[in-house]
Amino acid sequence: MMKYLSTIFILLACPAVATVDIVGSVEAKCVIQTTKSGVYGNPIASKLSTTPADGGVLPVIRYDVSIADAYTANITHPTSFSSSPTLSDTVAWTGSTSVTQTSVAGMSAYEAAKTVVDNTTIFDLTLAGSTWFSTASSAVYGSAKPFSGGTYTASVVATCIPK
Amino acid sequence: MLGSYAQAHEQTPAYPRILPSHVEGVVKVQLRLLNRRKEINYYEIGLFDINFDEIDFTTKRKIIKIDYQETIDFDVYLRKSDLDRAVYICTASKILKSNKSRAVVSSIVCSKLGGEPL
Repeated sequence: MMKYLSTIFILLACPAVATVDIVGSVEAKCVIQTTKSGVYGNPIASKLSTTPADGGVLPVIRYDVSIADAYTANITHPTSFSSSPTLSDTVAWTGSTSVTQTSVAGMSAYEAAKTVVDNTTIFDLTLAGSTWFSTASSAVYGSAKPFSGGTYTASVVATCIPK
Repeated sequence: MLGSYAQAHEQTPAYPRILPSHVEGVVKVQLRLLNRRKEINYYEIGLFDINFDEIDFTTKRKIIKIDYQETIDFDVYLRKSDLDRAVYICTASKILKSNKSRAVVSSIVCSKLGGEPL
């Protein structure tokens, strides 16, 4: 009798212990963030430019990737206006995209490893984390003619493509 | 840090599964779009091959109206016979006209059919 009672007391004295696992997984995900919209400056009558020295503002795009080596970032600088006053002459476009800030030191290698195809710059996102890119864009009106008054808009296309 | 900023375009999953549909010879892919770009309210869906040439597909609305901070689930239906060349399903932000000379950013996020690379 005493043996049974002592067993019951021991069981009552022991706290119930259970382990509950918390399981989570991070799936491949790419988020494109427009950190800053670009603005065209008009340093001379025939030129529109996002370069700060020309009075413009460079658009800044941030890519967040959750998994390393799962995406490429393709950023295309403009070669036409998406809206503008009527233009009677050709416009000469130039542009480029660069890495401006990174969350992981190793991402600074993206700049040297980038490839440029026509007006698209391709970055291989080999590390997880955030990378900031800025795109310079310049438009010069044909034969140094002045751009007519009005609003000019051009699009930088930022694409995130899974490998 | 990921996803904490308030001007983002996000599409998941990156590698969606191909599911049967209620129509014979047609399969569907389920995707989710999250709009955290305050100035964007419309996204266009596209189905592409490896060279980003367009492939026919159908969905409830090819241009989705979505509010800021809203999440929308959508289905893309494609022919089973197109599965061997269909590679990317993308959503592209649509930008409204403005009265300021600017370089706007159009974001395109893609998912890849055919599973994760090994």
